[in-house]
Amino acid sequence: MTANSKFTISRRTLLAGASGTLIASRAWGQQPAEVKVGLLVPISGLYARPGTVMREGAEMAIDHINAQGGIKALGGAKMKLVVLDSGDTTEKAKNAAQRMVAQETDLVAASGAYLSSFTLAVTEVTERANLPMLTLSYSDLITERGFKYVFQTAATAGSQARQALPQIVKLAETTSGKRPKTVAILTDNTGASIASAKAMREGLLAENQLQLIVDETFTPPLADATSLVQKIRSAKPDLLFFLPTVISDAKLLLEKMNEFGLGQGKIPTISFGIAIAEPDMLQTVSPELLQGVLTCVASWGAKGHEALIAELKTRYKEPWMTQNAISTYGDMWVIKDALEKAGKADRVAVGEALRTMDGGPSKYYPLGEIKFDEKGRRVGAGMTIVQWQSGVPVTVFPPELALAKPFWPKS
Amino acid sequence: MLRMRSFLPPLLFTLAYAGISLGVTNSYYQLILTLVPVWAVFGLSWNLLSGYTGLISFGHAAFFGIGAYATALGQIYFDISPWLLIPVAAMLGGIAGLLIGFPTFRLQGHYFALAMLAYPLAILYVFEWLGFQEVTLPIKRDAPIAYMQFADPHLYTLLGLAIMLATIVLTQLIERSRFGMALLAIKQNEAAAEAAGINTLAWKLRAITLSGAIAAAIGGFYAQVLLVVTPQSVFGMLVSAQALTVAMFGGVGTVWGPVIGSVILIPLAEILHAEAGARIPGIQGVIFGIAIVCVILLAPEGLFWKLRDLLRKRSVSKSTAGETLEPAVANVTALKPVARPRAATGEVVLEVRNLSRSFGGLKAVQDVSFKLHKNEILGIIGPNGAGKTTLFNLLNGFLKPSQGEVLIDGRNMSGQRPHVICEAGIGRTFQIMRPFLRMSILDNVVVGAYVRARSDDEARKLAADAVARVGLSAVANRVAGELSTKELRLMELARAIAGQPRILLLDETLAGLGHGEADEVVAVIQQLARDGMTIAIIEHTMQAMVRLVDSFLVLDHGAVITEGLPEVVTRDSRVIEAYLGKKWVGHAAN
Repeated sequence: MTANSKFTISRRTLLAGASGTLIASRAWGQQPAEVKVGLLVPISGLYARPGTVMREGAEMAIDHINAQGGIKALGGAKMKLVVLDSGDTTEKAKNAAQRMVAQETDLVAASGAYLSSFTLAVTEVTERANLPMLTLSYSDLITERGFKYVFQTAATAGSQARQALPQIVKLAETTSGKRPKTVAILTDNTGASIASAKAMREGLLAENQLQLIVDETFTPPLADATSLVQKIRSAKPDLLFFLPTVISDAKLLLEKMNEFGLGQGKIPTISFGIAIAEPDMLQTVSPELLQGVLTCVASWGAKGHEALIAELKTRYKEPWMTQNAISTYGDMWVIKDALEKAGKADRVAVGEALRTMDGGPSKYYPLGEIKFDEKGRRVGAGMTIVQWQSGVPVTVFPPELALAKPFWPKS
Repeated sequence: MLRMRSFLPPLLFTLAYAGISLGVTNSYYQLILTLVPVWAVFGLSWNLLSGYTGLISFGHAAFFGIGAYATALGQIYFDISPWLLIPVAAMLGGIAGLLIGFPTFRLQGHYFALAMLAYPLAILYVFEWLGFQEVTLPIKRDAPIAYMQFADPHLYTLLGLAIMLATIVLTQLIERSRFGMALLAIKQNEAAAEAAGINTLAWKLRAITLSGAIAAAIGGFYAQVLLVVTPQSVFGMLVSAQALTVAMFGGVGTVWGPVIGSVILIPLAEILHAEAGARIPGIQGVIFGIAIVCVILLAPEGLFWKLRDLLRKRSVSKSTAGETLEPAVANVTALKPVARPRAATGEVVLEVRNLSRSFGGLKAVQDVSFKLHKNEILGIIGPNGAGKTTLFNLLNGFLKPSQGEVLIDGRNMSGQRPHVICEAGIGRTFQIMRPFLRMSILDNVVVGAYVRARSDDEARKLAADAVARVGLSAVANRVAGELSTKELRLMELARAIAGQPRILLLDETLAGLGHGEADEVVAVIQQLARDGMTIAIIEHTMQAMVRLVDSFLVLDHGAVITEGLPEVVTRDSRVIEAYLGKKWVGHAAN
């Protein structure tokens, strides 16, 4: 460019026309008809189901954005989704990330990669390629590495437990009139569950004047839940925190609880994570068994999302909107906003825009703002509590997002 | 010279690979190019144990994972450079190999494989329990080279290649040494290997230690490439399976197998994942699986062996096209039975006193006593189930006697391990032949020579000598799989005498031979005796035996019924009764 401009100055009269065309074509190049956004999620293997839901959320968002005129700052450029399969192992996820940065060089940002271990590996690649990456994974580790191009939209695991516990206690107190005192923790040993359980054991329970009387960790998949349920029956806790990752484990325990006469709210059951609220649950567990079960999740279809939930239902036959769909939907809008702010389709500029953006109150993630702190965590990120009511898990907390009132199972 | 030349192909391959790698600028392709040597080395480490010894390990992820976690945790908690941590990881892997191998080598076959499967799965849970579900390597922006965090992805490939070349050369060195021979012998027949003087447990422990060390080192490097370590990604079933897949696809028991497997399968899986998987998610696994099944069906021992067999067949047909095919057969000149001083009175080299062994209630050998004199040929006969082979097994240490003593040169050796007894000078052959089919005759025999030889060269010399003594020199370089029964019997004989034993135990050496063939083998045995060997032989063919032996020992129901000169024993009514039943006793007397 510099050589070019010197050239035009020295021969101004002669080349005025030519350089004019040159500048025009460059300006055209800065406003492409399409802006590519990556989605790196598992669409094959063990985690294909949640990955597919994430893609559905992203596709819906892209359609909505484009229908509303695309990226205005780029002359109405359309957003285009590039989907990459992260597969079902950390190695495959890393390979896919490398493929994404090597072969999709014009991506401006991406979202992914479901499991936090995948996200950790993927962001090692995207960080080095200066590609902004939005993620719904909530392991604290993701934003503790000093990376500049990772943006965590969900509250971290530690923070979720911190937010959830007082709400659960309050809910119990206001609806049943009695403050719970004793709790049992039943958790599998996967990363997210361990992180939540650890935060509860190490202070959170004490802060909320709850006493831990049963503490059991199991390795999924469970073969038999009898001994676990027997421990709960003999200890009779006021609350049970049950943290499964595998649907079959959730089914096994709920059925066994019912068999022992502890089900359907005799001992209120609270979960963390979306496993217990996935549509697949209904294929194996009857809605009666699930009635009243609460789960604390990073995000969920909530008040204000009614139209989206309805569209997801008709377009993709999804019975309700899980965290995976709504978060990924939101990611696309955040990337759109960042593009508007950056004013150019450039990943470094989009990264800078994400770091400095102040998008006001969040519409698609629970509470907080569209603003990221120096670690890349969303400021004020809240969480939602979901309750199974008549065969559908609905958002019951926070009140401003609740689609239904929570009820406390009578004991 | 020969040795240097064999290192040339891996060196050329590595250089060519490095050249291709340097020409690739796409960082994704470069990552795949890095992963190929990683899995090749992992396959090679598996091959070192399972390929050569035949003890299938389903649990090599145990070592891989230990290396990966050692490298990751060392950086996180102690801020040590991976340049140092990878060698440390190798050491830990070696120690793990030793600790795992020692108890697990008591098991054989499927049981060994299943036990190995358990180790990585158990360790996986330990690491989950310790809270290491997700471990990420700290990013070092100020000293990337010191922490093996290269900005240029080529360097990872080159480093991976260096590790691969080192592993290939190491494997080649082992393959050709006493170490490799011992492992191959164990693979073919562990009992025969012990009997040939190989301390099988010691060699197996060395193999698993080295194998564990290599697996752990490459696991550490893998952690460096992936930058994230999770229990599933380094201890998972798929990791152990990866080692088996590349090795079995490429060829088991050869240095090139895992390399070929990795060079083909790793990029294939990625291409399928990227291309086919983008159209129909999940189809990549189906195609990949079918491809492996097809190759295994067509080339059950792996691509390398299939190709080698094809090439060999072609070169053989080409070289024999012009000339008349003269099958190289053993030329054993049937020696006339020359009188040999019968030496039933020489010094006693082996004495058996009151030897007994029972299996539960069955007394397989009871109270057997006899003496073997120097340069004597003793025939041990008796009907089926008389305890002849059990007696041999007691003599060479396969079985421990319940009672009694075995004195070799006056020293009590009963209850010693077979390789110890072999060192003391007892060689043996087996009723069921145990040739190492893929090896040449000479290599088969070398295995038996190591018990006496101090160096590889000396072993070769002793083996060549033994091959000459049985008359197989002309076919010494033929592969054992192509030989006739007679040649195999002679080869087994050569393997037994290559260790220069003073006493030879021959278990039905003439079984399965035609009349003329048996004579040739008998002639060889006679020649050995003339050269000063002391021989005990089990045989059914009475005719051949009578001409061969100095005296007989007759067993029935585990006990000695008589012993003495052939002409006396064959007329003994108890012997005839044992062999033919009571009603023949009268006939035989006439």
